[in-house]
Order: sequence, then structure tokens, then C-alpha cells
Amino acid sequence: MLQAIILVIAQVTVLLTVSPFLVGLIRKVKARLQLRRGASVFQPYADLAKLFRKQPVLSTTTSWIFTVTPYIVFASTLTAGLLVPTFISQNPMNFAGNIIALVYLLALGTFFLILAGLDAGSAFGGMGSSREAIVASLTEPAMILSIFAIALTNGSTNLSTIVHKTALLDGVATDPSPQLMALASLFLVALAETGRVPIDNPATHLELTMIHEAMILEYSGRYLALLEWAASLKLAVFLSLIANVFAPWGIATTAAPAAMMIGVLVYLAKTAALATVIGMIECMFAKLRLFRVTDLLGVAFILGLLGLLFFYTLRS
Amino acid sequence: MIEVAALVAAPLFAGGLSLVVHRSALLHAINLTSMAILVTAEIMITSAVLKDGPFTALEQLVYLDALSTFILFIIGAVGLACSFYMRSYMDEQVARGIVAPTRLNMFFFLFHMFLLAMVVATIVNSVGVQWVAIEATTLATTFLIAFWRRRESLEAGWKYLILCSVGISLALFGVVLLYYSSLHALSDVGQGLNVTQLLIVADRLNPHVLKLAFIFILVGYGTKVGLVPMHSWLPDAYTEAPAPVVAMLAGVLEVVSVYAILRMRVIVDHAVSFAFTGGLLALFGFASLVTAAFFILIQHNYKRLFAYSSIEHMGIAMIGFGVGGALGTFGGLFHLLNHAFAKSMAFFAAGNIHRRFHTVEIGQVQGVATAQPWTAMALMISGLALSALPPFSSFASEVQVATALASQGVPEMWFTNTEGMVTIALSDQFGRLAVTAVFLMSAILAFGGLMYRITGMVWGTPPEGILREETWTVGHLPVILLAGALVVFSVFLPPPIRQLLEQATTLLVIQ
Amino acid sequence: MQVLSYSGSQLVDLCSALLLLTCFAIVAQRRLSACVDLFALQSAFLVVTAALVAYLTGNQHIYIAAVLTGVIKVIIIPRVLKKVIDRLNVKRELVMYVNVPAGLLICGGLVMLAFFISEPIIPLGFLLTRDSLAIALAIVLIGFFTMIARQKAVTQLVGFLVLENGLFLGATAATYGMPLIVELGVFFDVLIATLIAGIYTNRLQDAFDSVDTNRLTVLKE
Repeated sequence: MLQAIILVIAQVTVLLTVSPFLVGLIRKVKARLQLRRGASVFQPYADLAKLFRKQPVLSTTTSWIFTVTPYIVFASTLTAGLLVPTFISQNPMNFAGNIIALVYLLALGTFFLILAGLDAGSAFGGMGSSREAIVASLTEPAMILSIFAIALTNGSTNLSTIVHKTALLDGVATDPSPQLMALASLFLVALAETGRVPIDNPATHLELTMIHEAMILEYSGRYLALLEWAASLKLAVFLSLIANVFAPWGIATTAAPAAMMIGVLVYLAKTAALATVIGMIECMFAKLRLFRVTDLLGVAFILGLLGLLFFYTLRS
Repeated sequence: MIEVAALVAAPLFAGGLSLVVHRSALLHAINLTSMAILVTAEIMITSAVLKDGPFTALEQLVYLDALSTFILFIIGAVGLACSFYMRSYMDEQVARGIVAPTRLNMFFFLFHMFLLAMVVATIVNSVGVQWVAIEATTLATTFLIAFWRRRESLEAGWKYLILCSVGISLALFGVVLLYYSSLHALSDVGQGLNVTQLLIVADRLNPHVLKLAFIFILVGYGTKVGLVPMHSWLPDAYTEAPAPVVAMLAGVLEVVSVYAILRMRVIVDHAVSFAFTGGLLALFGFASLVTAAFFILIQHNYKRLFAYSSIEHMGIAMIGFGVGGALGTFGGLFHLLNHAFAKSMAFFAAGNIHRRFHTVEIGQVQGVATAQPWTAMALMISGLALSALPPFSSFASEVQVATALASQGVPEMWFTNTEGMVTIALSDQFGRLAVTAVFLMSAILAFGGLMYRITGMVWGTPPEGILREETWTVGHLPVILLAGALVVFSVFLPPPIRQLLEQATTLLVIQ
Repeated sequence: MQVLSYSGSQLVDLCSALLLLTCFAIVAQRRLSACVDLFALQSAFLVVTAALVAYLTGNQHIYIAAVLTGVIKVIIIPRVLKKVIDRLNVKRELVMYVNVPAGLLICGGLVMLAFFISEPIIPLGFLLTRDSLAIALAIVLIGFFTMIARQKAVTQLVGFLVLENGLFLGATAATYGMPLIVELGVFFDVLIATLIAGIYTNRLQDAFDSVDTNRLTVLKE
């Protein structure tokens, strides 16, 4: 029991500390590829600290939803993070929910964010919300399909079970084809959900293009800090999910301290590698027009569907 | 095996020489020499096959039996006729400035490559190499079709290239499947695509795989044959290509493609059933016959008219093969020969008319009999032969197919008679009557459409400004010979040809 | 033919799936040059697959086919196509007969169809993998669909080449390569076909001021 509590605390700490680093790393990679020096990878920590110190300003037209949203978003994302194995395969919180709960915890955060964007009554907020609603409604089916494909190939919806089983098999999945389709699908979904290029551009405040930034435009101070932190947490959740479901190599399969140390280091390396890939994608591709987003998410959906299809045809 | 080597070497060297030669007379001389060598080699092969039966040569690469020799005969005869016709046709094209003199050697090069590819496709043992050769015919002819470089010819060439390449690719998938099935049965994998080997183990091949393979191959090569519904490139290409090229396309290439299907069919027949392949062939045959008959009726362009007539006759031959039996198969093969002769003649005539009247519209062509008496005669004869009227041999072959159809009906379509499956029974008495009626109706429609248009073109007075005389050229020689052959063959088939046909029929009919 | 190790066949499986994945990317891609890049990528996967099959089965001649694929389909053909695209005035496919999401759905359906067709013949083989043949057929069908759904001559050509890749995958994965002479011939044909089509595209551009094949409507009934 005590061990479980310690592990939960450890996981919370890892997630909270690693997530701003990932954002910083993506920015650094991007800067380097654009031949800029760029800010330090630890800049996001400083930003968060600064924002927490500032006094928030609230619009007089906002309701309670506006103030409660940052906490809900942060809490739901963090809870979702606790369902995903990070450095240890047997996640202490795995009793609390499975892969489907994860999807809906993240959806809960998105839902409140959309409400909050509308709440302030500004033009940009509403625009961002409506766009986010489009993107979310398109990613949802793709994500569900890819997740089903994963769950079916591994015979469980519990993420700990999935990761633990594959990790014990030296990371060799039983059928590569459905896994590959699900991976490709989930990666596209991750880009969309975390507001990355080519769906959204987190580095811009240009009204024509922004989605996530438009929704949180009215926030300031500690509320903004929480939302930014939640956004980076969400990124960390997706990266952990992809890294550990499809490549669970090196993850700690027992609670031995040495194994866990290795687990943490490997986890850092894997998520950092994925973040680098995202940074490179942001450099190589232009943001899609909003109406072309459907094409990309259509690809994600079809890939998820194919994952399922492969699973069934291979079984029969 | 000097004659087999000569068969390949003649067009190969002729093609190579054509590239470096620029004088028109020399190009024609090379062409005629190579055709003469080709025909001589064919005669030698024919006598060898008739005397000693099928043989392989060049390390199992080449396989010649009565069927392939028969196809070679068609290639040689039509090829020779085309070469004579080209003598007058191409020279006039150059003289009138339609074709730049510098491009003439390219024309001959491509022509020889086309010929080479068809010869290889016919004599080769491996189904895989046969595929390569048939795809090569597409590549060689695509620039021949677009040789005039007008917008229309570019369009026709592009359609031809894309449609045929894709169709042929499907056939390659069929070849892959065939190879896949043969891997189980054969010990020597390197021979896994050779017809000689496949025929030995044919009844041990997996029927499921073969069925799938046959469908792919039929659709693939069927595109080259121009079977409905894969025919849409054919009328365009036949309208736009220079006349000698069309004569080769219609007279020979279609036959070679049918030959590729037949080769495959024998193997599949051993493993699956005659009814499966026969039903499919007859299905495509009827689709082609009926559709083409309809389009012949509404046609206003005489080249397209002949193009659809090609589709119609290929349909008839397919029905012959589909019905099967000695009579149907013999009729089908014989019909291939007759159609090749009649159709190349028709396109020679069409080429002459086009040169004189500068239009492909039937309505604007009148009084060919006055303007070009020789051509008018060729047009009439080919029209009558294509309508399968006596005294032409196409009448004989079409009657053979019709008789086979009336007596045996179409093999039941590919659903077997198990419970819950749809069976299209076309071999009982009523079914036989119905399919024969459809066959005859379509043939009569095509006859009416064709003769109505042709008589309209032949008689009447030519429009103003059209020259009213025709001097005899060497280009008229093949027309006379082909017409003579069509008449003679209807009453008397020369013994070598008859033996070839009979032996080829026994090869194709599985008891 | 030796019995193959389990993980080896999985690797081949994985590579075939990657080929299929690039197919979908091509269907979703509108930029002509990106389509060509994706085709080159797909061919690269094909090279890896062929090399894997060659290694696993010990059939030396598949290495030759793999090298040829690398030279012809990864290097030469993409270069030729890039050159053709450089001459064109249009760089991307603006209007398609089928829009991208619908096209993707249709392709998903085609994959199902391919599995359905090849299901009866899969179990009987000493096949390297269970689904390579089905994936090959699926790629053939998707290539076919691309040719129908696109208007630009270049993308139609890419569709044809994708189709060829599918065929080659089928020949490699299902039958461990065809006899060498056939394979050489097929490569030769594909190369020549691409060159010819490239020349054609240029002539179409000159004659019609466009490479939209729906402009090719001079000839009709």
C-alpha cells in the first residue's frame, strides 16, 4: 500500500517535471533546425514560475466556468497521466481506469476548455472553441479505433497489462501489422490533440491559424500557468502512451529501485526522442488549412480502422 | 534451330539497322528483307511442327506447337501485307509533308520492335516472358499510335498506354498467382512458369489460385484484345494511328493477346473445369459482340466503324472458344485468321480513303468507286468478309461458331450447381436457342450497319475537288492477295493450314 | 524452401504493412512532388522487404531484384518524374474526382476486398507471411483507384507505379521472386513505360496546355 502511494507520488513528480522539459526540447529542436540558438530547454519552467507569481486578471463577463476550467483541465490531464505507465509497467493507479477512461479524461479537459473559450465572450475565444470542437470531433473516432486495435491485439484494455505483457515479451508484439497501423493513427491523433503542426501551431498568435492559443487567450497569471502546464502534460501523456505501448523496451517490470532508475532514464530518452521527432515535423511541414485537417484526420481514422481490420483478418 | 533464331533476329537487326539508315528506299528494303526472312523461317517451322510435333528450343526458352505456329503464320502473313502497303503509304506521307523524312526511320524502328515483341510473345515458353513481351508491344506501339502528333493522336496514345499498361499489370498479378500455384507442384522452381512444365503438372495445381489467376489474366490480356468493357481505348487508337499500324494492331496484336489467354486457359482447364473458363470467355464474348453490334449501327466514322467491328469479331472468336468442343474451337481459331485478313484489308482501304478524302466522317465520303476503283473494291470485299457473307471464309468460321453454340450452348457460368447458388443454365434446349438467337441477331445487326455504311461510301459521286483516278501501286498487291486468300480459304484450306488448325484445336480441347 | 523463423516473417509483415501505409499517404497527398517522394519511400520499403525475403529464404536472385528496385524505382523514376513536374505549370491536384476522406474510405474498403479475395488461397501456401499476398493485392487495387481518382497525368502515373510495387511485393512475398529473366523483363518494361509516359506528359502539356487528363475529350462517340 505504502509502496503504491510512493509510486503514485513518484509518477506525478516525473510527469510534472518532465512535461515542461519536453515542450522546451521541441522548441529547442525547432530553433536549431531553423539555425537559431533558441531559448534554453528549461525556459518553460521559468515561464511557469513567472506566471504563477503574476496576478490573474479576470474579465467581468466571465462566469464560474472560466475560473474552474484551469483546475479541471489540469486535474483531468494529470489523472489521465496516472493511468499511463511511464517508467514502471505495473502502474499503481491501473485499478482506477483503463485506456477508454484515459480517452474520456482527456476529452473532459477539452470539453471544459471549449466552454471556457466561449465563456469570455471574445471573438477569438469563440473561434478557437469552434475549431477545437471540429478537431476534437474528428480525432475522437480515430483515437478510439486505434486504441481498440491496440487493445484487441494485446487482449486487454488495461494499459498496465498491455505494457507489462509486451515488455515481458522483449517488446516483440504478436502481430506487427495492426500495431503499425494503430501507431501511425495514434501519432497523428497525438499531433492533433496536443495542438501541434500541421494541425495547430502552438507558437503563433495569428488569428487566422490559432486553435488552442485562441481558447486560452483571455487567461493570465496562475490560470494561464495551469493551462500551459496541462497542455504540456497532455503532450507527455501522449508521448508516454506511444513510447510505452509500441516500444516498451527498458521499462521497469518490477518495483526494484535499480530497475526503476533505469526505467526513468529510458523513459526520459524515449520521450525526448519522440519530442525531437515532433520538433522536426514542425520544421518540415507547414500548418494545414483548417478544411484540410479533415484529410489528415481522415487518414488517422482509416489507419485505425485498418488496424482493427488487420487484427480480425489475421485472427480468422 | 536456325529458323527460331532467325525469327527473333530478323526484326531485331532490321530495327537496329533502321535506326542508322535514313534513306526511305533502303528502309523499305530492310523491312521487306526482314519480313521475307521471317516468313521463310515460319514456313520451315511449320513443316517441322507438322512433321515432328511440338518442340522446345534454346534451353527450354522457346516452345513451338501447332497453336503458336498458327499464330506465327498470321503474324507473318499480315506483317508481309503491311510491309507492301507501307511501301506506298509511308512514302506518300513523307511526300505530302505529314511525316518528316527524318522521323521515318523511327517509324520503322518501332514497327520492327512491335513485330519482335509479338513474335517473342508467341514463341516463348515461359508465361512470364510472354507477359514481358506483350507489355513491350504496348510500349512499342504507343508512339506509333501517336505518330502524327496531333492533339487527337496524343490523346489516343495516352489512353492506350495507360489503359493497356494497367490491364496488363492485372495480367501480371495473374501470372504471379499462377507461379505461386506451380511452386507447390514443381520441383524445379526456375521452370515454374514454363508452359511445358505447367501442362505436365496442371491437374495438381490448386484450383482456387488458378481460378483467381485466370480471371486476372483474362481481364488483363482482354484489355489488349479490346473485349468489352475494357475496350474504350480501342476505337480511339484505331482512328488515330497510321493505317499500316492499325492493320497490325487489329490483325495481329489482338490475335497474339487472344493466344496468351488461350495458353493460360488450357492450363486452367486441366486444374479447374472447362465450364469455368468457357463460361467466362463466352460472357466476355457476348458482351463484346452485343455492344459492338450496337455501336456499329450508330457509327459515323469509318475507322471507328472498323474498330467496333474488330471488337465484334473478337467477341465471336471468344464465344467460339467459350463454347469449346472441336467445332467451336476450330471455328474460333479459323475466325481469328479470317478476321486478321479481312480487317487488315479494311484498314488498308480506310487508309487510302483517308488519304484521298481527308476525312473520317462517313457522310463526307461518297463515290469511292469513281475516285478510287481499286480501293472501292477492297472496301467492298473486306466489308462483305467482315459481315461474314459467302463466298468468304469468315462465313465458314462464323457458321462453325454458330453451329457449335446452337448444339452445345454456353457452359454454365461459374457458379456451380450447389444449393443456394445462382446457376445460369445456358446449355439446356431453351438456353441454347436463346444464346444462338442473340448471337445471330447481333451478327445481323453488325452486317446491316457495316454494309449500309460501306455501300453509302462506295457509290455516288465524289465531292468536288477529289481526284478521280487511282494508279496501281505496290500497296494494292497485298489487298488482292488477302482478298484472294479469303475466297480460296472458304472452299479450300491449304493442307498445312488445315493441319495446323486441327492440331491446334486438339491442343485446346480437353476431353 | 526452408521453414522460416517466426520473427523473420513478422519483419516481412511489418514491411508490407509499411508499404500499405505509404499507399494511404499517397492517396491523401495532393502535392505532385510529395506524391513522387512518397512513391520513392514506398519503393525503399520494397527494397527492404525484398532484401529481407532474399536473406530469409536464401534466394540469391532476389538480391538482384532488390538492387534493381533500388536503382530504378528509388532513384531513376522519381528523378524522371521530378523533371517532368518541373516543366508543368501546376504543382498540386486541385480538383479530384473523389475527395480525400472519401478516397481513404474507399481504399479502406479495397483493403477489405483484397483480404476477402485472397482469403481462400492464403492458408494453402508455405507462405512467408499470412497477409503479404493480401496486402500486395490491396496495394494493386489502391494503385488502380488512384489512377481513376486523379486527373493529373503525373499522379496517374504514380498510381500505376504504386500498382507495380504491389505486384512486385506479391511476386516477392508470395512466390519468393519470379524467375530472374521475368523479373528483369518486368523492370525493363516498367522503366520504359515510365519514360514513355514522361515524354507523353510533356507532349500533352505542349498540346493541351495542361496535364489534366479530363481535358482529353477530343475523342468520343
